[in-house]
Amino acid sequence: MELTKNITLGVYLPGKSFIHRLDPRTKILAAGLLIALLLFTRSYEAYSLFTLFTAAIIVSAGIPLGYAARGLRPMLPVLVLMWIFQLFLYSTPDADIIFSWWIFTATDAGLHMGNLITLRVLFLFMVTTILTLTTSIVSLTDGLESLLSPLRRIGLPAQELVMTMVIALRFVLILAEELDKIVKAQMARGVAFDRGNFIQKTKKIFPVFLPLFINAFKRAEELITAMEARSYSGGKGRTKMKTLHMGRVDLTAGGIIIVYAALTVYIIMSVAPRI
Amino acid sequence: MNPLIEVRDLSYTYRAGTSGGVKALSRVNLEVKHGEFLAITGQNGSGKSTLARHFNGLLTPSEGEVLVEGLSVAERANIPAIRRLVGMVFQNPDNQLISSVVEEDVAFGPENLGLSPFEIRQRVDQAIKILKLENLRFESPNYLSEGQKQLVAIAGVLAMKPSCIVLDEPTAHLDPRGRREVLENIRRLNREEGITIILLTHFMDEAIHCDRMIVMNRGKVEMEGPPAGMFRQRDQILSLGLNFPVAAQLAEGLRLRGIDLPDDIIHPEEIINCLCRLK
Repeated sequence: MELTKNITLGVYLPGKSFIHRLDPRTKILAAGLLIALLLFTRSYEAYSLFTLFTAAIIVSAGIPLGYAARGLRPMLPVLVLMWIFQLFLYSTPDADIIFSWWIFTATDAGLHMGNLITLRVLFLFMVTTILTLTTSIVSLTDGLESLLSPLRRIGLPAQELVMTMVIALRFVLILAEELDKIVKAQMARGVAFDRGNFIQKTKKIFPVFLPLFINAFKRAEELITAMEARSYSGGKGRTKMKTLHMGRVDLTAGGIIIVYAALTVYIIMSVAPRI
Repeated sequence: MNPLIEVRDLSYTYRAGTSGGVKALSRVNLEVKHGEFLAITGQNGSGKSTLARHFNGLLTPSEGEVLVEGLSVAERANIPAIRRLVGMVFQNPDNQLISSVVEEDVAFGPENLGLSPFEIRQRVDQAIKILKLENLRFESPNYLSEGQKQLVAIAGVLAMKPSCIVLDEPTAHLDPRGRREVLENIRRLNREEGITIILLTHFMDEAIHCDRMIVMNRGKVEMEGPPAGMFRQRDQILSLGLNFPVAAQLAEGLRLRGIDLPDDIIHPEEIINCLCRLK
C-alpha cells in the first residue's frame, strides 16, 4: 500500500510555466468557470473539447501526463461504482434496452448517464488537481483571500477560513504518510487487510483510523502552539510578503478562457444533450 | 545590563483549581543573560518544557512572575511584544511548518507582525541566507529531510528577528546527521548573530556546547553552572536520571583503568588533546 505516491491533490509542483506565472486569482476564477461549465456539459462533443483543453493546460504547465493521471488512480473504484450504478439504475421510458439479465437492466440512457456523470466527476477532480499542482498553497490562499475579502463586510472571516484550508491542504500528505505507517505497522503484526469478507475487512479499518485521528488531534494542538508562538492571532493586522498584481499573462489567459467558454456554450446550446 | 529573561518564584500547575491539578513547576528562580547559550536538561516530566513555554507567554504563571526585558508575561497586552523578542522552535518540524513552500513558510512569522512586503522579503532573504537554505527556498517541506525541515523552522523564527530563540528538543526527531547540522547552526546563531539561545535537550553531547547548563528535576532547578563543572558531580547527575557526554564517559573509563586524566573533560577535543600529551 503506497498511498502517498498516488496523492496529487494538494501537492504543488513548482515550475516556471505560463500557467505557474498566472495570478492565483486568474487561476481560481478560471477553475471556477470551468467547473461551472462542467455542470452544464451534457454531451460527448463538449467533453471532447474539455479533454483537449485540459490536456493543453496540463502540457503547457509542464506537468508529466503520467503524474496527472496517477492522481486519478485512488478515485478509480468510486468512479467505476458510480458508472455501474448509473448504468443499471437510471432509465427513461423511451430508452432502448442494451443488456438485460435477471433483475439487471441496462439502457442506453443509463449508459450515457453513467459515462457523462463519471466524466464530470473526473474532470472536476482534474481541474482542482491542476489548480493545486501549479499554484503554491500560499498564493492559492492569497488569491482566495483577495477574492473573498469583499465578503468580510458581511461578516465572513475570509482570512481565517482560508488559513484553515491551507493547513488542511498541507496535512493531506502528512496524514497519508502516517496512514501508510500505521497500516504497515499493523501488517507487521499480522493483520491481513486484503483477506476476509466485506465485514471482516471493514472491521480491520477501525484500528487504523483510530490512531490516525488521535494523532491528527495531537498534531493540530502542536500546530496551534507553533502558530501562536510565531505571533499568529487571526487575520487582523497580517500583511503579505507577496502582493498580487495581474499582468499581461493574466490578460492572455483570460482571453483564452473566455474563447473556450464561448465555444463550450455554443456546443451546449447547439448539440442536443444526451441526458 | 538587565537580564533578558527573569524568572522569579515561578510555580505552575496544570489544570489549576481542579482536583486533578498537576504541579509542574515549583518556585523556580532563573535569569537568562543577553547573548548567552543556556541549556536546560532534565528527564521527561522534569518541567523543562513547561518552564520554556513561559518564556514567550504560551503559558502564564500560576504563581510568581516571568519578565522578558522587564515585561511581564502575565500581562496580555505584553504578549505580542514578548513573542517578537522570544521565538520558539518545537520538537516535531512537521507540526510547525504551515506552508508548502519553504520561503513562504519563513515569511509566515513576519507576515503576522504586519510588516511591509518589502521588509518581509528582506528578512526572509536574510534568514534563508544565514541558515544556508538558498537551494531549498522553493521546495516543499514535504520533500526535505527532518533536519532540513527543522532548519526551515528555525529560519521562520529567525525572520522575526528575535533576541532569543528557545528550542524545545529540536533534535529529538532527527538522525545523527540532522542533529549535527541543527546543533551547528544553533551555535552559529549564538556566536555570529549574537542571539540568545535556550536549548532544551536530553542529549548531553548537545548540552556541553552551552555557556551554562541547568538541570531540572520534578519542577525544580536542581543544578546550575558551566557544563564542565556539572559533570564532575557524577553521583548527582546519575541520581537525576541523566547520562554523561561520550567524552566524559570515555575519560571516566580510562581513569578507572589507571590513566591519569582530568575529571572535567566533556568535549571530544579535550580528551584527544590529553591523550596525545600522554606518553
